[in-house]
Amino acid sequence: MKEGFRQAMAWLHTWAGLLFGWLLFAIFLTGTLAYFKDEISHWMQPEIPAHAIDSAASLSLAQGYLQQHAADASRWVIDLPNARDPALSVRWQDAPAERGQRGRFTQKTLDAQTGAEIQPRDSRGGEFFYRFHFQLQMPYPWGRWLATIAAMVMFVALISGIITHKKIFKDFFTFRPRKGQRSWLDGHNAVGVLVLPFHLMITYSSLVIFMAMLMPASILASYGTDRDAFYQALFPETPIPERAGQASLLPALAPLLAKASEQWAGGHTARVSVINPGDANATVQLSRASSDRIAYEYGHDVTFNGVTGQLLGATPDKPLPMTVASGFYGLHLGHFAGPILRWLYFICGLAGTAMIGTGLVIWLGKRQLKHAKSGVMPFELRLVEVLNIASMAGLVLAVAVFFWSNRLLPLSLSGRAEWEVNGFFIAWGLSVLHALLRPGRKAWIEQLTVAAVLFIALPLLNALTTAHHLGVTLVQGDWALAGFDLTCFAAGLFLAWAAWKMQRAGLSVRVKKAPRTAPGPVTLEQRTH
Amino acid sequence: MLLALLLCYAGFTALCLSMPRHHDELLGHKPSARRARHLKLAGWLLLGASLWAAVAANGWSFGLVDWFAVLMGSALVLVLLMPYRPKLALLLAALSLLATPVAAWAQC
Repeated sequence: MKEGFRQAMAWLHTWAGLLFGWLLFAIFLTGTLAYFKDEISHWMQPEIPAHAIDSAASLSLAQGYLQQHAADASRWVIDLPNARDPALSVRWQDAPAERGQRGRFTQKTLDAQTGAEIQPRDSRGGEFFYRFHFQLQMPYPWGRWLATIAAMVMFVALISGIITHKKIFKDFFTFRPRKGQRSWLDGHNAVGVLVLPFHLMITYSSLVIFMAMLMPASILASYGTDRDAFYQALFPETPIPERAGQASLLPALAPLLAKASEQWAGGHTARVSVINPGDANATVQLSRASSDRIAYEYGHDVTFNGVTGQLLGATPDKPLPMTVASGFYGLHLGHFAGPILRWLYFICGLAGTAMIGTGLVIWLGKRQLKHAKSGVMPFELRLVEVLNIASMAGLVLAVAVFFWSNRLLPLSLSGRAEWEVNGFFIAWGLSVLHALLRPGRKAWIEQLTVAAVLFIALPLLNALTTAHHLGVTLVQGDWALAGFDLTCFAAGLFLAWAAWKMQRAGLSVRVKKAPRTAPGPVTLEQRTH
Repeated sequence: MLLALLLCYAGFTALCLSMPRHHDELLGHKPSARRARHLKLAGWLLLGASLWAAVAANGWSFGLVDWFAVLMGSALVLVLLMPYRPKLALLLAALSLLATPVAAWAQC
């Protein structure tokens, strides 16, 4: 009975893992990259200089700029720079022409130290990976649904995988490389078991994040179709006074930072919104940085009267169930993580990606063995092989192309940011074609080699196209930019190593097989990777 | 976080050595039953101490997250290092233990 159950779980693990493996690999890899979203954006918009953070000075500069350029706006939004994102971003909304309409938003990026306007290149930066991670470049809400279903399958695969794995503790430290199929399984188990707390946390929390979409029954029962009422109850807002229509000078905003910090026991402000600036009823809202605490809460604000500086209200503390939910949300996003913890998050994410990748390779390897002698690969195995190559090597290649297009596309190109994304998908599409046309192992080696070359050469390309190369960034101590270049270089070396290993494995197969069967190129392709 | 990391790595190495198969791989012979027991105890104590170190350094909420992170990170390093550079894996554990007092002093 027990073995029967375990076998059933093994079956579930195998097939759930295969069907969603390719998608999950992409979700995990882009999600892992999204842990360095701000750093990637910084690299992709090197025109925005990084300075030592001085929130009060930056806020004064932003206020000065907005008073000069957007004095009549109905709303200002100022995003202050932080240790990871150096941009001082200001947005304003024009007063609507007619009542009931929404005014147009304008966005500008300022130098956080001088207040001068900057024209950064048009790029989506790390935001692309972040959005792709849960929206999959699909129209709302289909991408979210697909990503959430994938998350549920991931959860099923994790649980069934734990049940299937008989010797979790006995094999806890076991990894035996250079043993073919055995090594792949060891590796799959090792990255699965050793990083299991992360896998469980990340998968469960992704379901928590979308719980209102995923399990709306309780919301529907209490609020019917009136979703706004639910969100208003969930995130109560301080009422904003109406525009008085009387002009009044807006005092300096910077002192409010200290006042807000007092409310939050030393917390930091990420965003300052001014509603009706220059009006007698101006209101200032300061939103707390999500990096302050583990729990991630949407809209944790304090609101002040803009003219008198009097405190109007603060977001109350959330009840326990919501704190638990936002705790999971925060753990998933990792906004609170400092540099070391962020790297550990990144490594755990890579381990998760590797777990999915090794699983896919094992699925194919096991079945290919059966057909190795006949030399003919059935259509479904060939399909899995092509999808494996394109979803892994092809995706990595597409990421490299995304970074290359950021440096190579002309700055004046209209729709430049979209073209970077197009470059990513064109490269990914071509990798499918290439995998279709070339025999399996060759396709692996060639795609990995191209990706390796692109990543290794990325620091060089950066040096040729911008003034922010390693010679400068290392000296200046701009670790986000230097770290990006160095990480790409390391990733390139790893990919080159992988391509080399695969080439050698192919050769050793040929040598070993030679005495027994004629080593035709077709036979070679049937061997495990 | 450094102290917790060092203790975690040393702890995992001790737990690993407490298993006859890995003891044989790394040191060339099987451990006596007593030695295996001592290694196991030492491993769990070191892991417990690393939890204490993480929480003492950063409070319960951040400390627990830090601890899980170094727990996973150090185990991953050990397991990936062992088959390729077994001597280095052991050397790192020894260095971790040696550096522990310094890290503890720096943390306090």
